[in-house]
Amino acid sequence: MKNNDQPKSLMGQVQAIPGGEAVSVCFSCGTCVSRCLIQQKVEKSYNPRRMMKMVMEDMRETAFSNPTTWLCSACDLCYPACPQEIHISGVITAVKKLALESGQESPLKTAEVNLKTCVACGLCVEVCPYQAIHLVEKSVPNRAKNMTIAEVDKGQCMACGLCSSVCRSNSIELTEDYTDEKIIDSLRNWLTNQSIRETA
Amino acid sequence: MVDAARHPKVDVRTYTQVERVEGFVGNFKVQLREKARYVNADRCNGCGDCAKVCPIEVPNPFELDLAPRKAAYIPMSQSVPLLYTIDQDACIHCYKCVEACGPLEAIDFSQEDKVVWEDIGAIVGATGFNHFDPSVIPEFGYGKFPNVITAMEMERLNNSAGPTVGNLIRPSDRENPKRVAIINCVGSRDKRFNPWCSNFCCMYAIKNAILLKQMYPEIELSIYYIDIRTPSKGYEEFYERARDMGIKFIQGRPSLITQDEVTKNLFVHSEDITLGLVTEYEYDMVMLNQAAVPQPDVDDVSSVLNIQQSPGGWFMEYHPKLRPIDSPTDGIFLAGACQGPKDIPASVTSGLASASRAGRILHSDEWEIEPIIAQVWEDRCISADGKKCGICARACPYNAITVEVGTAAQITTAKCHGCGGCVAECPHNAITQLHYTDAQILAQIRALLADKPEEKIFAFRCHWCSYGGADMAGTSHFEYSANERGIRVMCSARMDTDFIYEAFRLGAGAVLYSGCHPQDCHYITGQVVGAKRAERLKKIFDKLGMSPGRFRIEWISAAEGQKYANVIDEMQQTIDDLDPKKLLEEIETLRPDMEKRARRMYEVPGVNESTDYSREMATAIKKEVAQDEK
Repeated sequence: MKNNDQPKSLMGQVQAIPGGEAVSVCFSCGTCVSRCLIQQKVEKSYNPRRMMKMVMEDMRETAFSNPTTWLCSACDLCYPACPQEIHISGVITAVKKLALESGQESPLKTAEVNLKTCVACGLCVEVCPYQAIHLVEKSVPNRAKNMTIAEVDKGQCMACGLCSSVCRSNSIELTEDYTDEKIIDSLRNWLTNQSIRETA
Repeated sequence: MVDAARHPKVDVRTYTQVERVEGFVGNFKVQLREKARYVNADRCNGCGDCAKVCPIEVPNPFELDLAPRKAAYIPMSQSVPLLYTIDQDACIHCYKCVEACGPLEAIDFSQEDKVVWEDIGAIVGATGFNHFDPSVIPEFGYGKFPNVITAMEMERLNNSAGPTVGNLIRPSDRENPKRVAIINCVGSRDKRFNPWCSNFCCMYAIKNAILLKQMYPEIELSIYYIDIRTPSKGYEEFYERARDMGIKFIQGRPSLITQDEVTKNLFVHSEDITLGLVTEYEYDMVMLNQAAVPQPDVDDVSSVLNIQQSPGGWFMEYHPKLRPIDSPTDGIFLAGACQGPKDIPASVTSGLASASRAGRILHSDEWEIEPIIAQVWEDRCISADGKKCGICARACPYNAITVEVGTAAQITTAKCHGCGGCVAECPHNAITQLHYTDAQILAQIRALLADKPEEKIFAFRCHWCSYGGADMAGTSHFEYSANERGIRVMCSARMDTDFIYEAFRLGAGAVLYSGCHPQDCHYITGQVVGAKRAERLKKIFDKLGMSPGRFRIEWISAAEGQKYANVIDEMQQTIDDLDPKKLLEEIETLRPDMEKRARRMYEVPGVNESTDYSREMATAIKKEVAQDEK
């Protein structure tokens, strides 16, 4: 007899979310890990294979706080190489969804909307590859009690910056390191150094 | 091979194709096509003078195209029988070979394929396996990078009779490689290509590594693996020996191979799982241990021999554990890797076993089969009246029934295994099963439901699985409702719709339709026939408004005694949950319908004599028919 009152295991929960069904067939061959660019270029501790194992072993807290949950950009480079045909980014997205539901916050420095200047043109909504931006009705201090404005879902945003590059009024930007100004500054520095090198 | 060819009782027919197999155990008739060699077998002495003068060179498939052969050729130097063949696809008809052959006059360009029929007592299928072509795996670069080779290519390079006389060289610059990677599970354990484990590759990789290490002690060898599987005697020790010799084992499936465009060296990207690190090592040469796959013409052979195929295309045995080398057709056996990947000891074992099984047939004048077989009442079969039917033939898992319009269906008794699928499927009740006739089964149903039928749970069980499950429940003393009454038939395919209708007509509280799990059916596809019928019945009962749960379908194996007990208890609960009055009312309302639906069974010879009721029904039907005719 199945008891529906029993709390579901992490694996059961992940499998219940579309995209996460195949997690149980992973036999830990490591193909995904050596295929992954995030592992190589961004974060050494990023490891989808271990994420599968954590899900199977019901390691809820460890999985939710693991960088793998938050850094996967769903580029799907691993998917066609997986011999078990697991849609790995689907599994990770499912884990992320559960992590967000449990109150975990994304550790990424996500995009932020400038409430003073956004005109709700919707360009950022269109280009966002993660469906993280939506136009919402809300009251904005010093502007209007009820107006349409873009809002970033911090859980979904992967901080790629595509929204920032298309925004015509510079109203959406990545915080801290990757604002338009900082990128232009570093570009200018690089160009100056380059010209010095060339003249030398 | 030479011994076999010289044996007075062995007749080796090479370059010959089996085109048709007819008949049955001990009495097969086999059509063989002896392909034209354009060389007279009686005259050719295998001297090879024709090949020496032949000007045409084509890639040699035996050397995996690493070396050429002539248009006049033998497949390999140890060929048995030693007869040359002229490859007509390559030959330019210069006739230099005819000249070279001289007075022997063995070459005969006028030869044609010869079709012969042979009487055969028993057949052993030993068609082997093929190698998976790794060029379809994009990440390994086989076919693109010259130094990525397959294990079979390395086998030829390493062979003293091979194209390099046993000198292992890299194809790109003909240097001896210093660092070699062996990659396991190439195309196997890979759902994109072949989901199965190819069984022998782990040991094969270790063998090749040890061989190379012995020949070139300085060579660095790494084996990439997902799991190392060494299950047989002495295998684990062999694995240990390889590790002792300094062969590196890296747990991790490579995700990418890249090539240095200048040196043609290769970089293998893989995670080393035991270290938890992503590695990228440089090698001079990479060997892919490719999967074992069925032969390309396996579908043709399986239809000629009438052998079912398991998923993937391998030949299916009668029973994977208990009759592993018998095919479902008596007198046809399987040997070696045509059944699925097998290593050498397992192939030899199955070959010897098949030979002895076949010998048993050849040495007996009579062949005993089970007495439970199907028989056709020829006067009842509508095919004899010139009508198209053939339902029985489609239900038969053994191709034992032939239906030709104009004559009654014919059952080849030697092929019948007695599942009873045809008996239950026949809409005209024209087939009966010895020892399990409709009359016998109906008598059992009526006897068991004679008293207070509405309280009873009536179970139909198949001989091999669910009956065994019930038996297991009994011998293990699992308690279940005492209201259960069950009978045994050979297969769920035998559970005729009439029986179920009759049980409900008699007022059974609940009916269980049970048999093997689909993959366990002892009659290949008998369960499928039964399951389809059961699903159809369920829909009918739902439509008629029968309370849910009164008709239940369950697949229970002989080991699942607990499941059997649970199912019966759940069914008892279903009956208990129904209001007894309402249940009786339901039985009464449905009774006429059940009666109507099952009336054809009274036409079955033997049934109308079994009880008074049947006799009455039979006379009533006869009267109706007489009225209709008027």
